[in-house]
Amino acid sequence: MMQDRIPAAAAFAPDAVARTGPAATKDPRPPSSAGPGKQAAGTGILPPLLLAIEGLRVRRAARPVLRDVRLHVARGEVCGLLGPNGAGKTTTILAALGLLVPETGRVRLFGEDPLTAPDALRARLGLVPEGDGLTEWMTAGDYLQHWALLQGRPLGPEEAAALLDEVGLAPPPRLPAARFSQGMRRRLAVARALVASPELLILDEPTNGLDPRGRRQLLELLRGLARRRGVGVLLCTHLLEDVARICDTIAVLVEGRTVAEGALGELVGRAGSQRFRLRLDGPLPAEALARGSPLPMRVVHQAADEIAVELEPGATPATVWRTLLFSGWPICEARAEGGGLEAFYLALTEPGPVHPPQPAEAASQAANDAGPVS
Amino acid sequence: MSPALAIARREGGELLCSPRGLAWLLAAAGVLSGFALLLVGSTELGLLDNAQVVYDMAGLTIALGALLALVSGVDAVAGERERGALLPLLATASPRRSIVLGRLGGQALAWSAMLAISAPYLWAVGSTGQNLGAALLGLLLFGTPVALAAGAAAMALGARLRSARAALLASLIALLLVASPLLLGPSLRQSAIGQGFDAVNPFSGATNALDAMVIDGQGLAAQGWHLALVLAWWGLAYAAALRALRPPRRPGEEIVA
Repeated sequence: MMQDRIPAAAAFAPDAVARTGPAATKDPRPPSSAGPGKQAAGTGILPPLLLAIEGLRVRRAARPVLRDVRLHVARGEVCGLLGPNGAGKTTTILAALGLLVPETGRVRLFGEDPLTAPDALRARLGLVPEGDGLTEWMTAGDYLQHWALLQGRPLGPEEAAALLDEVGLAPPPRLPAARFSQGMRRRLAVARALVASPELLILDEPTNGLDPRGRRQLLELLRGLARRRGVGVLLCTHLLEDVARICDTIAVLVEGRTVAEGALGELVGRAGSQRFRLRLDGPLPAEALARGSPLPMRVVHQAADEIAVELEPGATPATVWRTLLFSGWPICEARAEGGGLEAFYLALTEPGPVHPPQPAEAASQAANDAGPVS
Repeated sequence: MSPALAIARREGGELLCSPRGLAWLLAAAGVLSGFALLLVGSTELGLLDNAQVVYDMAGLTIALGALLALVSGVDAVAGERERGALLPLLATASPRRSIVLGRLGGQALAWSAMLAISAPYLWAVGSTGQNLGAALLGLLLFGTPVALAAGAAAMALGARLRSARAALLASLIALLLVASPLLLGPSLRQSAIGQGFDAVNPFSGATNALDAMVIDGQGLAAQGWHLALVLAWWGLAYAAALRALRPPRRPGEEIVA
């Protein structure tokens, strides 16, 4: 039922950029920023950008809050926005929404400047802020119908119920929101963001207060929206597990600067190999540890019921485990041992000297120095 | 339904369905009851003539209505910001003008509720209905702009100040200053300062018009200046609210701090 209200997924393409030919130089994204499998084979076409932020600088009360933020979210892509507390994630979101004027930099929301774009542009956007901000005396269904009017896309009771069902609030509770649990409130806030079938979803800590099942359900919903409906998702969170589970790309902010942006697998893989401890419930097959294995891993430690392996940079653990299981390895548990996204994040956000800008960052810095472009 | 109407309906629901809104209305009814008992029961106040009693009750109604609209105005911006409700609202496709108009619509509903509550009291203290028509007409024409101006000014203050508490305190102080004509004695009001204050103060405009209509029995046509005064204040306050909630223009400027 909800599908009926989804606008044509391919309606927007102002920022679609071909990687081939001269246009390749116009793509502001770093080479790794397209989600895995997103680049159409043979064509070199990247998915269109829903949100593009370049060289963003913001001052609040004469204090620089953002120094050089770069962020891109493409259609059908889940982008994780990471960073320590106070790194500037929420300020970045405010600038993306056109609620704050940057000192310099370029913000493009659906290809337009959010500060001057018509109000109707915001109907294509769904926002889940950190606080719920619900109307306490309204029931969930009434609240969604009220919100749909604000977005200019009226919603019937059946559609509201379907939307509540989609976020796991079925049957629709007849209670006012004031009597909802924290998890129910978060789900309703997510449903509110989906009410106008947005093309871009911006979520600030959406899984706060959700139980494990609700959290998984919400993450699957977000991934489904991105994969099936082409919605771009910007997920701002401190939960690296959530990021690892659904994000295609990440951007890491430290002290108001983007210190890393790109495809999750490539960034984390590039940062180093990943070490895992595999628990076995039986002996390994005879040829298991023979030399010349084509698998991108090496054994670093072996015991009777356990083996430690190190995957090569860029290797996908799930694929390796599947191959090993098919080869007869009696793996009953695989546990990450350091490495991976957490180690990558901690290394980037470790207190110390300011991280040197990446090449793309330096280019954006140069653009800033040339003067305001927004 | 337009976004402005949807917001006004929600604001009205907040007043009539939420415990906080109902508590405000109950408190207003309590104050009116106490004042009515004082007017009717006190030996000295009982000597006041009928028109004077109705005029006093109408003045109190305007003050309470302005207070109710002011609290609603502070809550509509500063309160919503603290509860995290302003950010998603500003991120919707609703134009800012609709948001301001919707909020003012909610305050108009609150003022209507205040009028409805005050009507029986005006009827009772006016010896079963004498001067009731003139008082209600005066409240409708002169009290409505004053209450809505208080609400809009509170919205503007709420957008400028960092916290709802600061906005509420500043608004209450401003209301006390502006509503001082209700407290000033006749001799002070006839001094040069008092007359100048009377000439520009919206509360003065409303109470002087009520005075003329209820006590002196003048017609509505003679109240042109008073009407222009209260409407001008309403317009100014509305413009201030609209300006406070407009999209930011200067670097570093923002609404949702």
